[in-house]
Amino acid sequence: MSSSTAALLDTQFDNSEEEEDFKLQPVDTSDDGASDNETAPPVKSKRSEPNDEDEDDEGEGEDTAPKANDDDDEEDEEDDEEEEEDIGRSRKRRRGPRNMFVEDEAEVDEDEEDNEDDEDEHELIKDGFIDPEDNHDDLPVGGETDDRRHRELDRRRELEASMDAEKQAEILRQRYSKPAKGRGLGPGGNFTIVPKRLLLPSVEDPSIWAVRCKEGKEREAIFSIMKRIEERKGTKQELAITCAFERGGTHSTMKGYIYVEAHRQADVMTAMDGLVNVYPRTKMILVEIKEMPDLLRVTKSVQLDPGAYVRLRRPPKYANDLAQVIDVTDTGLEVRVRYVPRLDYGMNEEMNATDPGKRKRPVAGPRPPQRLFSEVEAKKRHGRFLQNRGDKTFVYQGEDYVNGYCEKEVKIQLLITKDVNPKLEEVTRFISSGAEDGTENLDLNALAASLKHGTINASYLPGDVIEVYEGEQKGIRGKAISIQGDIVTMHVEAGPLKGQTIEVPVKGLRKRFREGDHVKVIGGSRFRDEVGMVVKIVEDRVTFLSDQGHNEITVFSKDLREASDSGGGGSLGQFDLWDLIQLDPSTVACITKVERESLIVLDQNAQVRTVLPSQITNKIDQRRNAVATDRDGAEVRTDDVVKEVGGEGKSGGIMHIHRAYLFCRSSEGGKNGGVFVARTTNVKSVSAKGGRIANQTPDLTSMNPATKRNANAGGDMPPPKSFGRDKAIGQTVTIKRGPHKGLLGIVKETTDTHARVELHTKSKVVNVLKEYLGFKDKVSGQSIDPNQRGGYSGGGRGGFTPRGGRDGPGGATPGNWAGGRTPMPAASHDNGRTPAWGSSRTPAVADNGGRTPAWKSGGDGGRTPGWAQDGSRTANPYDGNRTSYGAGNRTPAWAATAKTPAYSGGSDAFNPGSKTPGYAGNSGSDSWGSKTPAYQPQQQADNNGSWGQQAPPVSNWNSNAYDAPTPGAAMSAPTPAAMNAPTPSAYSAPTPAPYSAPTPAAAPIPAAHNWSGNWGAAQPMDAPTPGGGQQGYYGAPTPGYGAPETPAPGWQDDGPRYTDS
Amino acid sequence: MSTSENFVPTGQQRHLRACMVCSIVMVQNRFIRDGCPNCEPFLNLQSNMDAIIECTSQVFEGLITLSDPSRSWVAKWQRLDGYVKGVYATKVSGTLPDDVIGAMEEAGMRYIPRDGSSTDDD
Repeated sequence: MSSSTAALLDTQFDNSEEEEDFKLQPVDTSDDGASDNETAPPVKSKRSEPNDEDEDDEGEGEDTAPKANDDDDEEDEEDDEEEEEDIGRSRKRRRGPRNMFVEDEAEVDEDEEDNEDDEDEHELIKDGFIDPEDNHDDLPVGGETDDRRHRELDRRRELEASMDAEKQAEILRQRYSKPAKGRGLGPGGNFTIVPKRLLLPSVEDPSIWAVRCKEGKEREAIFSIMKRIEERKGTKQELAITCAFERGGTHSTMKGYIYVEAHRQADVMTAMDGLVNVYPRTKMILVEIKEMPDLLRVTKSVQLDPGAYVRLRRPPKYANDLAQVIDVTDTGLEVRVRYVPRLDYGMNEEMNATDPGKRKRPVAGPRPPQRLFSEVEAKKRHGRFLQNRGDKTFVYQGEDYVNGYCEKEVKIQLLITKDVNPKLEEVTRFISSGAEDGTENLDLNALAASLKHGTINASYLPGDVIEVYEGEQKGIRGKAISIQGDIVTMHVEAGPLKGQTIEVPVKGLRKRFREGDHVKVIGGSRFRDEVGMVVKIVEDRVTFLSDQGHNEITVFSKDLREASDSGGGGSLGQFDLWDLIQLDPSTVACITKVERESLIVLDQNAQVRTVLPSQITNKIDQRRNAVATDRDGAEVRTDDVVKEVGGEGKSGGIMHIHRAYLFCRSSEGGKNGGVFVARTTNVKSVSAKGGRIANQTPDLTSMNPATKRNANAGGDMPPPKSFGRDKAIGQTVTIKRGPHKGLLGIVKETTDTHARVELHTKSKVVNVLKEYLGFKDKVSGQSIDPNQRGGYSGGGRGGFTPRGGRDGPGGATPGNWAGGRTPMPAASHDNGRTPAWGSSRTPAVADNGGRTPAWKSGGDGGRTPGWAQDGSRTANPYDGNRTSYGAGNRTPAWAATAKTPAYSGGSDAFNPGSKTPGYAGNSGSDSWGSKTPAYQPQQQADNNGSWGQQAPPVSNWNSNAYDAPTPGAAMSAPTPAAMNAPTPSAYSAPTPAPYSAPTPAAAPIPAAHNWSGNWGAAQPMDAPTPGGGQQGYYGAPTPGYGAPETPAPGWQDDGPRYTDS
Repeated sequence: MSTSENFVPTGQQRHLRACMVCSIVMVQNRFIRDGCPNCEPFLNLQSNMDAIIECTSQVFEGLITLSDPSRSWVAKWQRLDGYVKGVYATKVSGTLPDDVIGAMEEAGMRYIPRDGSSTDDD
């Protein structure tokens, strides 16, 4: 009987508590007498109002059954039950509390009789004896008393509930400890399990404060507290705290705190005061009562099973390497793992590593790569460390190697078991060898398990639509609001709890998707990052059609997420989808799919391969300009649409052109994401990008420059293109055709086709086609060709200017000379010369007189600008940092000893050794011969032999006419430093001379010495070219070359990079 | 008893082990010397290295220093009330061998796994 009672109660009440209530004499004063039939009076005494009669009345009142009541309590109760059964569910709820006060016997009876009654009732109903509705009719009669009694019970219940949990727990403990003690447990043997919810903290329990602690020092802090507790025990300063604990750990969210249990905060302060690494004076947090159990929550660690993947923490050589679990010991604290060894077989061992102390030194440097154990390699140098145990098993340096893998017993704390996330590349190392004998294969389940554990928590994100499929809240749908650990806070959107926010454990949750949703795989599976559309949902398995491969993929809904991005993107390292890559020197391929760690490519032979990024030689950059010809010879380019001829007749846009292969992508999709490879000779262009007419063979003739030129020029060489000012301007012409035919005039302006001619006859300017013009020599009136006459050549004309105003014998007009002369004509070598003067001489040529602008007739005086007696140097043409001249590292325009042409360096300007080109040195007699183009004879005369005095100490290029235009000055302009140029003269205009005078090269040019670094010694050269250029071609700057700039005085300081040789 | 017998200096902390039954944390040598102060009657760890290896674990987390086991709620929650003062762990990984569990039950004890697997039971 009692067992059936228990069974009944089990279904409705808390088992343990109630059981105790009935089995034992309750200590709880609130337990009323109803628990015992015979102790009815005390019950009554407690009840203030009802007396015996009342009770009977109550009984009767409640008794709605037609059966007679024989004043028996038993019956009473049983009827009570009966009635409730009849009334139905709504009242049944109240039965619970009342039953608490029902004695054993009665309940037992109730149980049995209930059934009997039921049967009776059924019979009665069948017989038509009573109306089934009778019960309900009677109900109101007993309603009042019934209610009163219920109120009574409610009060009692409240009383009980108002007892503090502490007392209750105390009571419970007493109850539980009795049997425990009865069973004779040893010390601390309080092991009957009290449900944890009865242990929940109450206000009577000590509070818990979270105290800041140095991260990583939590354990030490706990031990320090332990020490302090024990040290101060029994003293006045005994710690008032009851407990302290930590939940540190590298991955814990609770690190950085220790938790101290005490009744008063001051106790915590006192206890913690002065402890190292504990900071009670910073903000101390009181933990809320309801959060206290969470502080001590423990979760079971990942169960390791053989085949699972873990990572090694130690030794450093293998840190973070993947290992596979082979076996787990019984305690689960040690596992046997295998991993790919990193061995160098002593190859990198130092030869003198005999010192044992040295070997302890931690291995810095790179660790050897992962390679399977090789017996051969080991034998090479470490044969003595190797033992063969047969069957591919070796012991090498104390480690076991089986099948090439290192096998080892490892303590679980030395392994990383969470968030292992093995990469495909790593995992393949574990299957490569097994594949040989076919016994082992990639254990996808183990892999999946390893992956799953890593992402289980991350798989829910706020905003996910989720559904509870397990537990009390089953069927509830809503949206995740926040996720903390394993608890998801969700906002309910459907069902009875709509609008509420509830917290549910991740365990019973799954994500909800609908068909047609666009989803992405986020969880751990090999389909990770696939994107597609949901097509089918069965329980928590979702099938979707991937965007990339158009194949159906089934994954767990927890691994999915609604995708906002579309598929087809993705890249792996530097490789993007559709990239062209080089696999080996002869093979290219197009990436058709990017997976998490590998790429699917289609190579030029239409083979689909899976490659790892490491297997790719390089990426071939898109060549936009690549052109190929299709089978008709039409040009095809990237992005053109072509169609295969023969084969499947696929058509698609060209993505890549590589040699004779086209990688095309069909918009219709198909295999490989629509990519196919075709030979150029096998396709026909369909349409060309940008409307190029693709089917038309281009007019190759028109593209051939050779034919084109011939056609236009008709076999004649076109007149050489001349640049700059039209030579025709200023020429005397006759007009050969047109209304002005026969008139003479001067060309004023020209365009490409026309010339404006100022007529001689009447003061009028007319436009005439150029071809109607006939050029005449101004003097002789003979027809000339303006383009072929030497006098008109650029150089020739240039010759005019420098000599402007000069009347030296050498100042011949170009016209006087035979055609083709350069402007260096000079009748006398000693007279006013152009910079490149001399009888067809180059500037560098000097027969003691014919000098370049830089020359100086005096033995050591005639120097190039870049040249000075004391070793004033030219800039090293190859060293832009140096200034060009000057012993004092001066810029060309400035040097006491090595004067630039324009410079007259104060008192010692006359230093024979430092003449500028445009400067007549102390050999005043021939000063004339060394004129710069700008040289003024009068001045020269005046200053003859007394230059130094006349010239201002500062450079005043403008005031001294002769200073300004000297070639040297020109040379000085580009500072070597600025230009990184050869000697300053490098940029001075090439004078006409260069080709006429090869001397510069022949002469001992400054450069030679420059290189040897002893300019000073080289100075005897009579006439080094100003430029000192090694090539000699820029030897002679034109006189008229632009106004030189005075170098800033500061150059002196900047320049001195040059070191004296 | 020394003044701070439960204190373990940092250098010794790698020798710590936790009893899988009561979760008390001590250095291995103390287990050898004294056995488990709470579970000795049925675990018999004293001077029994094999039993210590079997019944205690080096893998544990969440240290608790228990000063007043009778009044502390933490002790109650962790079911440590009735045990001696000392340092305990909130979680002890490892599984007790079946024969030890059997011996416990014979002694009238019920084994509460300390590895976190029991939290769902209640």
